[in-house]
Amino acid sequence: MGLRFSQAVAVSLTAIIVSSSASSATYVEQGLADMRTGVVLELATASGALAAGLLASLIPQVVLLALFAAVAWYTAYASWRRRGRASEGEATGAYAVRRWGTGLALSFAAGAASALVGVGGGFLKVPAMALVMGLPFKAATATSNFMIGVTAAASAYVYAARGDLDLSVAAPTVVGVKAGARLGSALLPRVRSARLQGAFAAVLAVVGARMALDAWSLVR
Amino acid sequence: MALVLLAGTGTGVGLCALATLLYAAHSTLAPHAAVAGVTALFATPPLRLATVAVGFAREGRPRLALAALAVLGVLAVAAIRAAMGSLL
Repeated sequence: MGLRFSQAVAVSLTAIIVSSSASSATYVEQGLADMRTGVVLELATASGALAAGLLASLIPQVVLLALFAAVAWYTAYASWRRRGRASEGEATGAYAVRRWGTGLALSFAAGAASALVGVGGGFLKVPAMALVMGLPFKAATATSNFMIGVTAAASAYVYAARGDLDLSVAAPTVVGVKAGARLGSALLPRVRSARLQGAFAAVLAVVGARMALDAWSLVR
Repeated sequence: MALVLLAGTGTGVGLCALATLLYAAHSTLAPHAAVAGVTALFATPPLRLATVAVGFAREGRPRLALAALAVLGVLAVAAIRAAMGSLL
């Protein structure tokens, strides 16, 4: 499409907002999204994004990409190993949320990743909630979906104000993403958590590989 | 809550779909429709947070309502900084 990197990030952030808003409507209706956990973690995520915005010039991008690639691969491995233990009970309040400190720290890192590398942050938030804080995998996915739109919005405003958002690309992308988000949110309740967690691990491994390649291209 | 999300997303996506058709027809109205659509979509996250804050306040959970308002404040700061940056 010949977009500059910053233009691609701007369209991507807009797509995250659409995907988050479209799927969250369904998840809120189904009672899948844990609003209490989501809002508290979003405080840490927003703080992480804000802090990263201030520190961005001090940390080399190659270090960040390598670090987040390693985190993505580790969480892919942990998600894959534990997929057989994924709980199917997903109703909000039917589980106890634990280890808030670690969850908040990981959400802070997710916010920083979102601001520094231009990703949604779900690759850290979903494992933080599902593997660390004890949320069922589907509830973690729905809650993360609710949160990532808010995180993406903060960065999207900046890119749009800079004039990086190409409207002729964003408009059709939004329509396609909405259709995909609708399909995904309709499928979520029907797919077994173990399969979903396995697929998530595979996507994480690809995300990690992509970040490692980007880091390698900066070193060369 | 779900109604706010559906209304914001529906309006934004509808306008973006219209913009896509107008771009295909090489209409000069296309950028205007796209700006309106993207603006509606960008307004959805703060609206969502405001609705959540009101919901928590009504349920008698002031700390959670404050947490939602604090995140809303961060978003407002980002939007204001972005707007100021585009003006400078």
